[in-house]
Amino acid sequence: MEFKLEAHRIVSISLGKIYNSRVQRGGIKLHKNLLVSLVLRSARQVYLSDPCPSLYLAGPAGSRGAAGVGGGPAGGPAPGSSPLKKPRRNSEEQPGGAAAAEEEMETGNVANLISIFGSSFSGLLRKSPGGGREEAEGEESGPEAAEPGQICCDKPVLRDINPWSTAIVAF
Amino acid sequence: MKPVGGTDIISTVEFNHTGELLATGDKGGRVVIFQREPESKNAPHSQGEYDVYSTFQSHEPEFDYLKSLEIEEKINKIKWLPQQNAAHSLLSTNDKTIKLWKITERDKRPEGYNLKDEEGKLKDLSTVTSLQVPVLKPMDLMVEVSPRRVFANGHTYHINSISVNSDCETYMSADDLRINLWHLAITDRSFNIVDIKPANMEDLTEVITASEFHPHHCNLFVYSSSKGSLRLCDMRAAALCDKHSKLFEEPEDPSNRSFFSEIISSVSDVKFSHSGRYMLTRDYLTVKVWDLNMEARPIETYQVHDYLRSKLCSLYENDCIFDKFECAWNGSDSVIMTGAYNNFFRMFDRNTKRDVTLEASRESSKPRAVLKPRRVCVGGKRRRDDISVDSLDFTKKILHTAWHPAENIIAIAATNNLYIFQDKVNSEMH
Repeated sequence: MEFKLEAHRIVSISLGKIYNSRVQRGGIKLHKNLLVSLVLRSARQVYLSDPCPSLYLAGPAGSRGAAGVGGGPAGGPAPGSSPLKKPRRNSEEQPGGAAAAEEEMETGNVANLISIFGSSFSGLLRKSPGGGREEAEGEESGPEAAEPGQICCDKPVLRDINPWSTAIVAF
Repeated sequence: MKPVGGTDIISTVEFNHTGELLATGDKGGRVVIFQREPESKNAPHSQGEYDVYSTFQSHEPEFDYLKSLEIEEKINKIKWLPQQNAAHSLLSTNDKTIKLWKITERDKRPEGYNLKDEEGKLKDLSTVTSLQVPVLKPMDLMVEVSPRRVFANGHTYHINSISVNSDCETYMSADDLRINLWHLAITDRSFNIVDIKPANMEDLTEVITASEFHPHHCNLFVYSSSKGSLRLCDMRAAALCDKHSKLFEEPEDPSNRSFFSEIISSVSDVKFSHSGRYMLTRDYLTVKVWDLNMEARPIETYQVHDYLRSKLCSLYENDCIFDKFECAWNGSDSVIMTGAYNNFFRMFDRNTKRDVTLEASRESSKPRAVLKPRRVCVGGKRRRDDISVDSLDFTKKILHTAWHPAENIIAIAATNNLYIFQDKVNSEMH
C-alpha cells in the first residue's frame, strides 16, 4: 500500500513539473522533461502493479475519453500511440511516455492520469469546461495552479471530468 | 584566497591554456576575465593573485517570435582558444548562439599627428609648419574586447557544451540531440556530425548531455548521454558519427534500483584527462574515471555524497536532483575535483585514494587561511564540526569548478561568488 501512496505522490509531483516547465523562461528543457517522464512512467507502473485497491474511483470510462482530449480516440489510446500529444507542435516537443497495455483504470493518457492523481491541481479544477484545443492552448494557469505533493485523500471521487480534459490539452 | 562578489549567478568557469587568465560567465550574459598578477618581489604576499582584467556583455536575452520562446542570455560554456598571437580569444555560448571574442591590450597611443590635434580635431593647416613622425607613447592599459564571429542558427535544441579541436581550426557544439562541427572562420554553415533525434519524438529515450574533443587526436571526440553512457566517435570513420567507435557503459546495479535510477545515472559532465588516456564523468552521486581502452566499466568510482541516496525523493521534489555538477582534473591527472551542496567541494587523490571535503565560504577565505576539511555525518558517532545530512543547505551548490592547467590553483563558483584557492606550500604537483 505504501508503494501505491509513494507512487501516487511521485506522479502528482511529476505532472506538476511538466506543467510548470511550460511557463519557464528559456523554453522547455528537453532533458529535464525526458527524465521527469521516465519517473512518471516508473511510478505509474508501480502504482498499477500494486495489488492494493485504487485510491480513487475511476469515473465512467466513456466520459473520460470524450471531451476534447488530445490525440487518442474516445475511451483510451490505441496501443502504441503516444499519450502525450501536444497541441502546439514546435520542434521542442516533450517526449511521450510509453503507452502500456490498457488497464482498467485507463491511465494510458495524461488526461486520465491527472483525473486520477491530480486532485491537487485545484487551480485547474476552477477552469470552466471549454471547447476544443484552441481554447485550452490559450490557458496559462501559471504556477498558482499546481501544488504537487499534496495527496488529497479525502476526495475519493472525481468531481468533474470535463475541466480536466481541456486543461490537460495544454500539456 | 579571494571571494569576488557579483550580482549574478556564475554559470561557467574556465582557465585558459596557460592559467594566466580565468574567465567566468554568468546568468546575466556577462563574461568577467581575471588575470593573474605576475609575482613581484615587492609584495611577496600577493604573488600570483587574480584581478579583474575585463568585463563585457556577451549575450543578451532574445525572443524567438516563431516559437514564442524566450532565449536566455545565460552563458552555458566558455572555452579559450589556444593563443596564437598577442591577442586572446574565447568562445562563449548561451542556449542558441556561440560567439568568438577577441581580447586585445592597448598600452600605447600614437601622439604627434600632423593633421589632427590631441583631441582628434583637424588642425588649422596654416599652423602646420613642419612635418613630424607620430610616436607611440605609453598609456594606461586598456583591454578591448570585440566580437569577431557570431555562430547563430545552428541549433534547434539547447546548447550544452562546446569544445575546441586540437587542430585549432574547428570546434564543436552540442545540444540535446545534435552535435555540429564548425570552422572558426565560417559562421554561415556547420556540419552536423551526430544526430540522435528519433523520427518520432515520442520514441525519444536519451539526450546528449556533454561532449568534448580529445586533447591530442583531432579526429576523436566523446559525448555523454542521459542514460549514463559515453560514446567515443571517430570523424575519420564517417561523415555522420551516429555510429560510435566505442561505447562506454556500466551495467546498472539492480539493488540500487528506484524511481530515480535513470535520473541519477545521467552524466552531467565529461572531461578528458590531460594525457588523453582517461575520461572523467560526473553523475548525480559519483565521479568515475574511465580508461579509453576499457568500455565495460569505469576503472575508478568515487562517491561524492552517497548519503543523498536515501533522500532522492525529496531532492526530486525540490528539483535538486536535476542539478548538473561539473568535474575537473588537476594538471597531472592525479587528483579529481567536483562540487556538492552546502558550498562543499570534494577532491579525490587517485594515487593515495584519499579524499577530502572542503567548503567555499567567506570565513574560510581570509587571505592565507588554511582550508579546514569538513565532514558530513550520517548518523552514528558525530564529531564536533560535523554537519548532519539534514542541515545541509541545498540552495548552496557548487556546480562549476576549474583547475589551473599546471599549478595547484582552483576556481570555485559558489552561486554568485567566485573563490580562488591556491596551494602555496605544495605548488609542485605530485
